[in-house]
Amino acid sequence: MIYALYIIVLVICVYTGRHYFFTLNRLFAFQRHPYIDIDTADWPPVTVLVAAHNEEKVIANILEALMTVKYPADKMLVIPVNDRSSDRTREIIDKFVEEFPGRIQPFHRVGGKGGKAAALKDAMELVTTEVILIFDADYIPGAGLIKQLVAPFFDLEVGGVMGRVVPMNAGTNLLTRLLDLERSGGYQVDQQARMNLRLVPQHGGTVAGVRLSALREIGGWNENSLTEDTDLTYRLLLNGWKTVYQNRSECYEEVPEVWTVRIKQIMRWAKGHNQAMMTYGFRLLLGKHRATLRERIDGTLLLGVYAMAPVTLVGWALALGVFYQGVAPLHGVIALLSLTAYAALGNLAAFFEIAAAVRLDGTRKRISLLPFLILGFGVSIFSVSRAAVSQVSDLVTGAEFHWDKTERFRKVL
Amino acid sequence: MNPFLAVAALVFMVSLMFMLPLVPALVELRRKSDAQPLNVIQQNAGEIRHFATSFRSYIKGLEPAMQRCVAAGTSATGTLPDGEEYVVLGRADEPLVFALQQRDATHPVVMAAGADLTLPPDSTFSRDIYAGGEFQGGEKNNYRAILGEKTVYLGASSRVARWVHAVGEFTAGFCCQLVGRVSSDALIRLHADCSFLRLNAPRIEIGNAHTNTHEAMPRLSLPASIGSETLRRFLHDGDFEIPAGQVISSNFVVRGRLLIRSGARVSGSVKSVKDMVLEDGVAVEGSLISARKIRIGPHCAIHGPVVAERELAIATGTRCGSQEHPTTVSAPRIEVEEGVLVFGTLWAREYGQVVANL
Repeated sequence: MIYALYIIVLVICVYTGRHYFFTLNRLFAFQRHPYIDIDTADWPPVTVLVAAHNEEKVIANILEALMTVKYPADKMLVIPVNDRSSDRTREIIDKFVEEFPGRIQPFHRVGGKGGKAAALKDAMELVTTEVILIFDADYIPGAGLIKQLVAPFFDLEVGGVMGRVVPMNAGTNLLTRLLDLERSGGYQVDQQARMNLRLVPQHGGTVAGVRLSALREIGGWNENSLTEDTDLTYRLLLNGWKTVYQNRSECYEEVPEVWTVRIKQIMRWAKGHNQAMMTYGFRLLLGKHRATLRERIDGTLLLGVYAMAPVTLVGWALALGVFYQGVAPLHGVIALLSLTAYAALGNLAAFFEIAAAVRLDGTRKRISLLPFLILGFGVSIFSVSRAAVSQVSDLVTGAEFHWDKTERFRKVL
Repeated sequence: MNPFLAVAALVFMVSLMFMLPLVPALVELRRKSDAQPLNVIQQNAGEIRHFATSFRSYIKGLEPAMQRCVAAGTSATGTLPDGEEYVVLGRADEPLVFALQQRDATHPVVMAAGADLTLPPDSTFSRDIYAGGEFQGGEKNNYRAILGEKTVYLGASSRVARWVHAVGEFTAGFCCQLVGRVSSDALIRLHADCSFLRLNAPRIEIGNAHTNTHEAMPRLSLPASIGSETLRRFLHDGDFEIPAGQVISSNFVVRGRLLIRSGARVSGSVKSVKDMVLEDGVAVEGSLISARKIRIGPHCAIHGPVVAERELAIATGTRCGSQEHPTTVSAPRIEVEEGVLVFGTLWAREYGQVVANL
């Protein structure tokens, strides 16, 4: 039992060190933004896919925003991918199509497999441009965002691009404020540090782009994936394409305002991530492909992040077991040291990352909410563990995944 | 002490200590003093002319005063709505400007000239300047920002701290320091030993960029860099060399050093993970990107964006972009010889310098 605990503590320490390393890199090292200065160019034709499933509350906002971005209008085609919506989504989209002839080409999907990846896969029949940008319907792109997301594709190594997500309803309640802090840590520190260190920035599937030839080379969208973004990140990497992160390409999104929606969201992410870990983990670490050693290590650790929640719970259980078993003193000293380090650093490292991110964002008072993150941490650890257990049980029983759409909270226009 | 009370006191103390870090959190949660979404730039897209456009709006209220002063050949002073003092000049009268220069040492003012403006040398102008006509600055001057509706000329060894925008041509004399943004709707011309950061104009001439040299260069066709899939991607691990005079129709990614020999022509884009060197007379129809340094030899022609993550050196006679297809040339540190021509943006994030020889 004690040896299993040591292994868990060791793994946790690796993740702890990773958090600190990323944070210190973000605070003190050279920051890579190689493509952000490309403001003048022969801009290529681009297709913007807007994934929408029952999005009557938000779809008009993103279409309005896309019609006013600073990108040559004759080179940008917006395709709202209306995936089997049963609300007013279709009606709203068609109204925009009439208002902006030639600039929006709707894709109304009435059947087929559920899920964003399946919808995007079907919509690809309309795509002819080499650069594709993807937004979820609740996002509101700013004027310069399209150019910023297209610019990295001048680099032939780049297969995918990811921008920064910023919650627009951050101040609504405690949950949104905690999610705002988590997003800061995840993007401002984690993603940017990975970009700086030439590791594996993660494609987020929204505020993002993908190169058509790269997508075709890797076999297109994987409709069996629960998180098409993670799946895409790893297939690109295994095929010699890079995903790059643009920290200054910021876009507003709406975060969940109630805990039940948040729990469903994080459970889906966890299942998708674990699915990718099972599919690509071994091949990434040890297989023959073009990823560098640092990409192999970071990519593997990234694949394991959602698996760490159940591992942590097991670690807690083992620690209690060891305590009540009264293990030998020598082991006890080491275990005590390890557990202390784990308890202190395992939690604080992530908090340190978020605190650094908030400071980099130039905000001040919201940092005082940091202690409440233990609440979000607690909810996440149990939700993600529950997702892992249900995933294993689904494997055994052969049950199919049910796709839960993230509920929106904006008022209908 | 009563054991029950002792335990209760202990529980109370521990709870209190546990709650202590939550006090500021609870206060912030209730007050929502920092609950606004992060400020994401939605409208201005980091455009180089943003400050010039804002300044034009800022001084719009001075237009009538400028017209009156120009008509009467006089000057006027006053205060803008935000409390900044201004001076409006109706003529480029040197003694008048000299008086302003003396005053600027202790009491800076926004200067708006309705007509041509000629400024004396060895002066510091620590507030923004608007010139409705031609702007001619003396040598060794220090400026904060200049907006010129016609041509703007900076005397040798002048320094601009924030930005310059010229609707007409912009010329910086020898040894000028352009610390901020410089833009022109027509042309930017930098003379020898100038330093710069961010330049944008339809045409940027470094030193004497002889037009005839560039016009004689082979004309590039439209790139197939990211606009289509017509060119396949060639991926090479390790160093790679394209032989002299070779014509290649492919996109290249080299995971090592890349050397393109004299006179080679690439109908596509090029990326190197390590250093990249282009010898003289190379033509690249797409983009040129290196994760380290790029050294572009003399008389090369690059159609697409040029991005070096560390350093970039461009030798004389090289042309980046074209009049019809402007582009971006960018790196943290850029050294550029006289005789280089860039159409679009030349952006040195940390340091850019015009040098006599690379």
